[in-house]
Amino acid sequence: MSKMDLASGYLFKGLGKEQLKRISEHTGEIEVKPGHEICREGESAASIFLLCRGAVELITSVNDHIELPVSIMREPGAMFGSSALIEPHVYTLTAKCQSSGSILHIDRLGLQNIMSGDDHCGSVIMKNLAAYFLARLKETRQELKIHFKTLLRSFRA
Amino acid sequence: MADQNKIIVETKGTVAVLDIKGDVTGASEPFFSEAYHHPDADGTGKLLLKFDGEAYINSGGIAVLIQLLAEAKRNRQRVCITGLSAHFKKVFHMVGITRFADIFPSVEEALKEMG
Repeated sequence: MSKMDLASGYLFKGLGKEQLKRISEHTGEIEVKPGHEICREGESAASIFLLCRGAVELITSVNDHIELPVSIMREPGAMFGSSALIEPHVYTLTAKCQSSGSILHIDRLGLQNIMSGDDHCGSVIMKNLAAYFLARLKETRQELKIHFKTLLRSFRA
Repeated sequence: MADQNKIIVETKGTVAVLDIKGDVTGASEPFFSEAYHHPDADGTGKLLLKFDGEAYINSGGIAVLIQLLAEAKRNRQRVCITGLSAHFKKVFHMVGITRFADIFPSVEEALKEMG
């Protein structure tokens, strides 16, 4: 996958070639190995990531001893770290590599500058981001409902 | 929810084996509920959950499993698990699922112990 394959990322669906080219100028590529931590929950978010090859797991920390699996990304084009685009620009999940591969990292400040200077680009990216977060919110509500039902049943028993 | 999971229920001696295909997430809840109440599983004293070694189980899937384990505990059913990758054995131990369900390396070993 080359930098121009940025179009495969959900965040960039609907952008034109010229807009993607400008974003690619703020994009680098890294090779990763299993166990490599790409970003950590709670840390300042300087980049957004796009999977080219390999598999990356997203996890969240419950406490010092428990980490919950959130999702695994195996398909090229999968993106993570998009909370970088929203204040306070902090990662909300930890991303760990499960296999060797490569990842594109897009500089948050560079992307935000492009979005500020190009209304269409900014609007498309924020629309895609909103759709993604709405889907995440639905999943979280579903999970909450399952726990709630389990609790209710245990109280009734 | 069309093809989130496929769970085949079959009886092996006194044990109902739930053969679970696919990743397990919050969307798996109706599939697990249907399998748990399947005629071959309903009322049995022993359940074996057999996962696909490649399966990914996220926090929503863990919520579904906790729901099943809580119901099994109320119904005094023993639950065992097999087919987990090393990664999810570690996760299940970390979140405390292993306090409610024993994990076995294979169906054969689980069935032998559950007898």
